[in-house]
Amino acid sequence: MHYYSIAAAAADLRAKKITSVELTEMALGRIRQLDDTLGAFIVVNTDLALAMARRADEDFAAGIDHGPLQGIPLSLKDNIATEDAPTTANSRVLGSNSEGYDGYDAAVTERLRAAGAVLVGKNVLMEFATGKSDPESFPDPLNPWGLSYSPGGSSSGTGIAIATGMVLGGLGTDTGGSIRHPSAKNGITGLKPTYGRVPNWGSVPVSYSQDSIGPMSRSAFDCGLILNSIAGSDPRENATADAPVDDYTDGIDAGVKGLRVGVPTEYFYDHPELELEVKNAALGVVEVLRNLGAEVVEINLPMAELSHIIYWITTAGDKAAYHSPDLAGKWQQYGQVTRRKIALGTLYSAADYIQAQRVRSLFCRDAAKVMERVDILVTPVTFSNSMLKAEEGSPLGANGTSAFNVLGYPALVLPSGFASNGMPLSSQIVGAPFAEATVLRAGHAVQQATDWHIKIPPIVQEVSDRSVGGRGTATAEERV
Amino acid sequence: MPEPRDVRAFVRAAVEAAGLPVSEEEYEEIVVNYPALRADADRLYIEAARYETPAQIFSPVSPTDRN
Repeated sequence: MHYYSIAAAAADLRAKKITSVELTEMALGRIRQLDDTLGAFIVVNTDLALAMARRADEDFAAGIDHGPLQGIPLSLKDNIATEDAPTTANSRVLGSNSEGYDGYDAAVTERLRAAGAVLVGKNVLMEFATGKSDPESFPDPLNPWGLSYSPGGSSSGTGIAIATGMVLGGLGTDTGGSIRHPSAKNGITGLKPTYGRVPNWGSVPVSYSQDSIGPMSRSAFDCGLILNSIAGSDPRENATADAPVDDYTDGIDAGVKGLRVGVPTEYFYDHPELELEVKNAALGVVEVLRNLGAEVVEINLPMAELSHIIYWITTAGDKAAYHSPDLAGKWQQYGQVTRRKIALGTLYSAADYIQAQRVRSLFCRDAAKVMERVDILVTPVTFSNSMLKAEEGSPLGANGTSAFNVLGYPALVLPSGFASNGMPLSSQIVGAPFAEATVLRAGHAVQQATDWHIKIPPIVQEVSDRSVGGRGTATAEERV
Repeated sequence: MPEPRDVRAFVRAAVEAAGLPVSEEEYEEIVVNYPALRADADRLYIEAARYETPAQIFSPVSPTDRN
């Protein structure tokens, strides 16, 4: 039951095989079993979650159906505002004064509530989706597939919670890979939507032109279900797009026959830091798609090797501006890794920031020409599969993800096998702007032909046995 | 932009201008990292972008007026 897909749970709720209260109690029980050790949650809203579940069940009984997310336990990264819990961004800076984010729901939170979802709690993240909190202040998230390995970030807790069956899905945020890296490291499925597809209103910003809130779950189909509820423009935000919102699960079973799959060999497949197992996992997904009838073509994405520099300078400038009022006066309240990373933004000039945007224009134009020839790209996610906990917090160097934040393209990460060290391997499917339906269709086709996405961390049972007697996770009534 | 002749002085001035109370250890770490960061930034000053306009476009119409 812990590893229900959202789709299966939604069907069983309507068939009266299970109630939302039962689902939610299951989720809360799994959190009590595992979260002491794995550190996925900052706050668990036990009483509120059960109240939401009861309301969902009452609505079902009255014939009121808000859609597939009704009654489904989900969680949110704690840089997304919720009216029923403080929003800390995993930092003592906001933990002591989150007035900018207190007492209201972010746009996506509003939409999930309207969809009848049960919001179980707020997940651990890298501090300000950037660095690393000092460990005495917030839970230290651990990878359920291997405790000495990084769970990825910055949406670490959401990834862990879904991988271990604490919740059936959730939301993360992605500026350079922060949905996709933890999805890859935890062996789950995550989607960074097109920039502007989902409103960021009510979330703590990282980079104003690269941030995207998106769904994380156990399948492309479930990501589509969540995206259906959160996509769409919002008049309170400059950056949301008026582009029509598709039904992202309608036609998802259409297959990939004739789909044009681009393999961008330069940079993404020939970088010196790319590990062989990681490369082969992505090529494996290309072969699955080929065997399902897709056409595969080798292409080149010009200037991809500059994309992580564009990403870094853009992000550095945005963060330096956003944190300026706090960084000087609350320096000691930031984690050491976080404040050092943000401080680097002071070293660039305004001309450097603008130059990054000028090269970005070139990159976007060249990429658009490539996307006229293909429907999707398939690439690795990270170049290394073996980041240890001790290595967390390093600046994001060359990688497979940040190029698509620079471009604003939708990008789906899905499990693609396992490495020799037992850790999950993943691949990334990228589409043209607002082509989430195509990206999800391709991901769904791969997942219908493979079973990597339904594998469960073997350590879950061991941790469950060892967690008896551990410390409790803070409830909504207790602030960290 | 060429690397400053005196990296240590530049980094000191930059962090002090931002009002950041960095420790000496943090300052030394930034000094060590700065040349590589500067070299990466300099890679973006390419001829192909000489007359390019930035990717972000300003609209004089306020967000509420657009709706």
